[in-house]
Parts: sequence; structure tokens; C-alpha cells
Amino acid sequence: MANYYDIHDILMQDENVSTVFLHKANGAGFLDPSSEDNNVARGSVVDLPLWLAQDLVQRQIVHVKLPSCFNARVRKEVQADPACIDLRSKCPFYYEMGCKLVELNVDPTLGPYLLDTLRGRYKDLLCKALTATLTGNPKFVPLLTEEETRLFEAGRDSMKAFKKWRLQGPRLERAAILGRKRTRDPTPIWS
Amino acid sequence: MFGRTAAQLVREVNNDDQHIRRFNYDLFDKVIAEIQEHFQQVTTIMEKGQEENEDGQITSVDENYNGAVIHHQSILRNKRCLLAYMYHRANRLQRLRWQLGAVLPEDVKGLLHPSEKEFVKSYSEALSSYMTKLDIDLTVDITPPKDPYIQVRVLDNIGEVLLGDQSTSLVRNSIHFVKRSEAETLISQGLLEEFTG
Amino acid sequence: MAGQGASEPALFTELEVEFMAEDESINIVPNVRMDTLNMICGDYGPFRPQIPVTVPLWLGIAMKKRSKCRIQPPDWMSVERLSEVLEMEREAPREFQPLPFHYVEIAKLLLDNAREDFENNYMVQSLLEDIKDVRWDKVEKGLKNLSGRTHAVKLKNISAMEVNRMRTFTVRALQSFFKHDNDDMMKQTPTDSDSQSTPSSSDRLPRRTLRPR
Repeated sequence: MANYYDIHDILMQDENVSTVFLHKANGAGFLDPSSEDNNVARGSVVDLPLWLAQDLVQRQIVHVKLPSCFNARVRKEVQADPACIDLRSKCPFYYEMGCKLVELNVDPTLGPYLLDTLRGRYKDLLCKALTATLTGNPKFVPLLTEEETRLFEAGRDSMKAFKKWRLQGPRLERAAILGRKRTRDPTPIWS
Repeated sequence: MFGRTAAQLVREVNNDDQHIRRFNYDLFDKVIAEIQEHFQQVTTIMEKGQEENEDGQITSVDENYNGAVIHHQSILRNKRCLLAYMYHRANRLQRLRWQLGAVLPEDVKGLLHPSEKEFVKSYSEALSSYMTKLDIDLTVDITPPKDPYIQVRVLDNIGEVLLGDQSTSLVRNSIHFVKRSEAETLISQGLLEEFTG
Repeated sequence: MAGQGASEPALFTELEVEFMAEDESINIVPNVRMDTLNMICGDYGPFRPQIPVTVPLWLGIAMKKRSKCRIQPPDWMSVERLSEVLEMEREAPREFQPLPFHYVEIAKLLLDNAREDFENNYMVQSLLEDIKDVRWDKVEKGLKNLSGRTHAVKLKNISAMEVNRMRTFTVRALQSFFKHDNDDMMKQTPTDSDSQSTPSSSDRLPRRTLRPR
């Protein structure tokens, strides 16, 4: 269970999934622009954010459809060359979203598929994280999902810190909030 | 609706890790208004449900319940986002107290919500009184100390400063040999830098 | 700094690891006469010229900086010992040779501050670099073999700085794998969604070491 204040978990749950209402819901017309009486009719297809869909699935009010980023065509594409695929454009929270869908029993084959994908991308990510240069984001970073980016950064930052220690820079530094260098710019740097 | 405004607020804290932005009254109030709207809806649905029950009309309770659940969940979601926004800002303010000392720079103060200013004040007081009781300044030596004295370069004309028991004139670009514990706060405030040349 | 990072509260910085290394002992040969120093952590000295004495590294370096002593290089930092270690590191691709837990930090501190006390400092430094690279190569190879079924990683003789360098990445990677490679994710048949997220016991699965078998 994620921390209540976990920003990544909160943002992940903001992703949309397509759902079908199994029962009528009165007074929730705002979910469905096509509804005329402020009710969502049975059988309506509505895009809901995960946080809502998840609760409604557990109450058996809606059924979640498999998002297109997990359909057979995408899976084939990913399996052909996992390391080079731009997963972020499919969904920035690809793995987390996938795991939620497994929890919600949307598609039982999703679990093994996600693990294969992660395995397929992990080694490449490891090499790149440990050999990343000190400055700038290499061009493959935009292809990574949120989870992968954090993993990559964890590796890269450790290497960076270690190199910095070996070169022995200053031990005390100005607080990061004040920015790198004081500028003569009258606008405050932190607004 | 859909808690999108609230998510936008959370995204704002997520975007830059170190900085504090101006408290976003606009979005914050919008989310509060959204919560009130949802609450209105829940109340309406519940009242309607009760009336229908009394009239003996044939509407299944479930349909009203389903609608109410959706509004209720929306309230909880918005609440979580608002709390996360406040929580992460408060965390950052706490860190600032450790880095910059008891007095916040004026321009940072201008970015805060009155309740946040109150929080900074109370937190700072609590920390100070704890340190007074222990008789130790916990905010120094955040990085492990080496020598008790270090060389520093002055980044700006600061003027006369009391260092140790004597007053020193800190002129831009001059280099001084000072007690590390005294230089530390001035360095994190960006007035001095450690001179390693 | 420990406990101050937003996302990685349990991580030590390199400077903190170095700080801990400074408590290791070192032999010095003083060139001054000085009474015993009574410190919170113990009493050191008395110091007599040309009589070797054991002190913590931080004290030795502080005295060295003030030209009050010469540092006796530890045995393991001799060219012979290091050449031997390097050879064995190369011969055994699956294990780490025993070296002091803080060898990276001690070597750096001594070579930075007491370079002239080593007879063959250039050679010592380059041997240490090679050893460090060979060992790190093994760490990287080991990391490639992580999977969701890795519950414990056995790294005999790894040093403090090496562990610290791989810690965040390894923990993150293990978390990611574990999230995906557990029974809840792998179930092929739909079950009741209420029974989700029962944490599976971590010791019922086989242990795998980080080294390839």
C-alpha cells in the first residue's frame, strides 16, 4: 500500500481507463457528457481516472476495459525489442498502471508480460545508469517510464556522488533552494 | 471535476524538488469549491433517495447509492491531493529551517500561505527551544567535519561581521580563515563559499 | 546528508562513509613529544619522537597535516600485497578478496594527505585503481543477474564504499522486480479481487546470491 502522501502514487492514479457501467448511477451525470438526466445509464462507456475506477470495480459498479497500451499489437511491438521502445509515450506509469489492472482482474496475462518487459529493459538501463556522464540527460531518458527513470536516476546519482567525492570538491555548499549562482536578475529565482 | 484540478496542484509540487513556489490560492480554492459541490450532490442524492423510499416509488436504492459513492470518492480524492500539497510544502519548509537558520529570507516568506508562516515560526521555535535545552546547535556539521577551521571566499560585500570574539570585515572576494561552525550557515545562505584552491 | 534527503532517507553520503572510516586505527611515528590526549573516544599517546604509536586515522591525519608525525603505511597497502590481491581478484571472477572494510576511504585519505610516506606511491595508487575497477566490474555483473526471486544478496568481503555506491540502485531494482515477480502478479486465473495484496513470505523462496553460479 502506497503512502497516503506519495506524489507518484497520486499522479499515477490520475491516468484514465475506459470503463463500462454495469449498473445505473444516479446524480453522477458529470462523468458522462452524453447523459441528459444527470444520471449515468447502465452500459455507458466512460473514461474514468484510476482512483475512481478502482473503487467502483471493487463495488462491482463498473467493468474496466483493457487500455490500448496493453493490447496485443503493442505487446508484440514491445516484445520484439523491449530496450528500444518508447514506453513513456504509451503511458508514463506503464508498470504501475499494469499492476493495478492485474489487481483489478482485468487481464491475468498482464503480470507475466510486465515482468518480461521489465527484464528486457533492465540490463540496458543498468549499463546506461552506471556509465552516464556527469551532466545532461542522455537521449534515451525520455523513453523511460516514471519507475524506470527513478531507477536510472538512483544509479546515476550514486555514481555521480562517488566521482565527486574522489575529485574532492568543496564540502559545504549553498542551499539548493537559492539556485546555483546569484544572478543580478531582479525577479526572484524561486517564484 | 474528476479531481483534475487537484492533480494539477500535486503536479506543481512534484515539478521542482528543491524550490518553493508561491502558494497557489487560485487552484486551492477551486478544489475546495469542487469538494463543496460534490458534498452538495451527495446530500441531494441522499435526500432524494429518502423521499422516494417514503413515497414508495420503485427506484432501486442501489442506483442512488452508486451516484453517491462516486461523489464521495471524489471528495476523498480531492482531500488527499490537498493534504499532499500542504504536506510536501511543509516538509520543504522544515528543510529550509535546517539550511538557512531561524530567519527565512523575505522573498521566501512572500510565497507562503499565512498558515505556513505560522508553521515555520512554530517549528523553528520548537527546534530552537529543544537545542537550547540540549545546549547544542544541531544544525551545524550537517556534513561530517574535518578541521575546525576552513578557508572561505566572500561572495558579496557584507561588511562588519562578528566572527568568534572579534569583528571581521568581509569584503567581496577576500579570503578568510574562519571557524567552520561559524561559516557554515553563511555558506548555505550563499554569502561565502568554501575556498579549496 | 543522511536523514535529510527527500527520497532516500537511509542513504549515507560518501563524506559520511569517509567519516566512519576515520575511526579505523593507524600507526604513526611522531616527531614531537606530547602528553597523552584524553578524548571522549579514548586516550591516545603519550607521543615520543621516533616511537611508533597507534591512533585513529583522523588524529593521525590531523597530526600529519601539522607535520607532527610520519604515517606508517598499513601492511595491506604494500605493493606486494596489492599485486597479490589484484591477481587473485582477476583469477576469481565470482568472489571478492578480503580487504579492510574501509579500504577505499583509507587509501584515499592516506594518499591525499601522506603521499610522501609511501615508498612507491604511484604504483600503490595505480594498483588500487585496478583493484577497484575489477571489483566494481563484478558488482555490475552481479547486478545484471537480479530478478524478482532475489531475496537476499550475498556479497562477502565487499567494502563500505562499494556497498554504498550500489545501495540505492540495488534497492530500487529489487523493489521493482519484487513488485512484478510475486505470486499475486503471476496468478494466471482471476480470483476474488478482495484477496489481493497479501504480502508473500520472503523466506519460502530459494535464496540466490548476487554472483552467477
